[in-house]
Amino acid sequence: MSKNAAPPADVPRHARWRSVRPASVVTSAFLVIVALYFLVPMLAMARFAFQNVPMALLTPEKLLEGWSFSGLWTALSDPGIISATKTSVLLVVFAIALNLALLLPLAIITEVHNPRLRPVLSAVTLLPWVIPPIALVVGVAATFRAAVPWFLASDFSLVPFYALWAMPFTYRALDAGLQAISARTLYEAARTMGASLTTIIARVIIPNIGAAIAAASALTAAMVLGEFAFASLLLKTTLPTEMVNYQRGDPRGGLALALIVMILTALALGLVVRSLRRRGLTVHTAGM
Amino acid sequence: MATVEMVGIRKAFGSSVALEDFTVRIRSGELVCLLGPSGCGKTTALRILAGLEKADGGRVSVEGLDISDDPPERRRFGMVFQDYSLFPNMTARQNIEFGLKVQKKDAAERRSIVDRMIDVTRLQAHADKYPHQMSGGQRQRVALARAIATAPRVLLLDEPLSALDAQVRETLRDEIRRLQLDIGVTTVFVTHDQHEALAIADRVGVMSNGRLEQLAPPRELYERPANSFVASFIGTVNQLPAIALQSDRWQVLNRTVIGNEAGTAGTEGIVAVRPEHIALDGSDTGLWTIESTSFLGPMTRLVVTQPGHHPLLVDLASSEAVAFPVGSRVQVRLRDDVGQVTVLTAAPIASRMSS
Repeated sequence: MSKNAAPPADVPRHARWRSVRPASVVTSAFLVIVALYFLVPMLAMARFAFQNVPMALLTPEKLLEGWSFSGLWTALSDPGIISATKTSVLLVVFAIALNLALLLPLAIITEVHNPRLRPVLSAVTLLPWVIPPIALVVGVAATFRAAVPWFLASDFSLVPFYALWAMPFTYRALDAGLQAISARTLYEAARTMGASLTTIIARVIIPNIGAAIAAASALTAAMVLGEFAFASLLLKTTLPTEMVNYQRGDPRGGLALALIVMILTALALGLVVRSLRRRGLTVHTAGM
Repeated sequence: MATVEMVGIRKAFGSSVALEDFTVRIRSGELVCLLGPSGCGKTTALRILAGLEKADGGRVSVEGLDISDDPPERRRFGMVFQDYSLFPNMTARQNIEFGLKVQKKDAAERRSIVDRMIDVTRLQAHADKYPHQMSGGQRQRVALARAIATAPRVLLLDEPLSALDAQVRETLRDEIRRLQLDIGVTTVFVTHDQHEALAIADRVGVMSNGRLEQLAPPRELYERPANSFVASFIGTVNQLPAIALQSDRWQVLNRTVIGNEAGTAGTEGIVAVRPEHIALDGSDTGLWTIESTSFLGPMTRLVVTQPGHHPLLVDLASSEAVAFPVGSRVQVRLRDDVGQVTVLTAAPIASRMSS
């Protein structure tokens, strides 16, 4: 339970070292291979995007020559990219809001009232991944075009798709949070004290699953910022589709932008994971 | 303070029956322990009482009013859970205050009640700590304070001490009893630990397989168990052969005693005799041999054997036991002060099967 538990003092130093060694060699080798698998293409991307050197001359000897962010600045000041970024940020906000508005009450009420339905909900929330985007888009578009034709005209018609598409992540994150705090017993304890369901959700459950809500939101954000299929099929201009579009005219700037978006998303996710781990620890010990 | 009745409660989970015709009447201000092996239905009974589980049949009433259909939030009961279930986002003080806020008491009144609860549970040094900063014992004291802060009509405790160390367990057990007597709240305490139950309860309800086997004060339960389950569940018993005499008299070892059941005169049955109810006499011609002894402080437990018989457990005052070293030969008899025994098997097995 304690994260800084000292190793037993009576174990000789060399014995500890030996017992750890074989496993740690395999682990390190694996980590190095995985790191190379990701880093080499990224380095190639970075050189192409940020070195003002013709592509044929990007040899290992010229690794340090002509680095410049000019391509990125040009891309970032492109009006198309700026407006697509705004759209994507708003899409992130709305998708998170809709997603939580649907799944938070559903996950909480299932956990405290009908825990037997958890496996069903878990399976249902996986459906968006089983159905390919094209099927979703064609089906939903056909329905909406007949019923409410104006709906698909707006960029924000993507929000319901994204909220749906993020369900598998979100539900799992929320469910794990509820399990970690034993939400059901907290609910029962609060009920015996006379509290109503809404009071319990607002004052007892939600304040204790902040970490899970943050995780669910971060995963939704990362997904929306990288989603291409729905936006492209529905002919919407979001950051991912606009980046592909922009890259046709300015390959260097486009790639620079893609790299930066990727790094920023990864950093944001990393921060959330860190804060989760810190919170997760307190949540965990408190639940014991 | 309130009288509580559960009458003819029945509850099944799928095909497994958790409670069958469960009836218990609890007096105002009484502490009743529900005791039994795991799976006997004691926690289910408590949860039905709390309203957290709905019975399939039967009636729950408080002060004579049927509350079977009331949800837990309307019952005005206090409950303490085995795993504390404190709200992790609130300090000890805020946890205790929660129920008072729900009752919409004003700030000054809440404050004075919370202060009093913190005093009686001796949590002064921990009032502003969060649950994860407290030990198990402290957490369970917060849970107790939280449960009684709202002045509940009935206090329910579901294995409140099971997650604690032996030492803390005993201290907190006595604190719960002291507090319960102070405020005089009718209390139902569920436990699987007979020492706990016998130590603090006014009456103990022994349960097995969803039924209440006996509900009686601890002493009566120990001295006059109603049936063989209670006899063997509470404390330790020797199963001794006995001959049925007229009406409810039985011949056990050297003496004639009263059994709680009559047998067919002249047939053999089996009765339960506590280890401390057997006396030994040193005798070179004795049929029994001391096989082993274990020193338990004031008492010493001896295992006494005779070929062809079950070994007997005998508890003697340690000062008395020194007279019987391992290997010495003895005669066994029932102590003179034993007036009644519990009959485990009233008739020989063979005649039972034919009847």
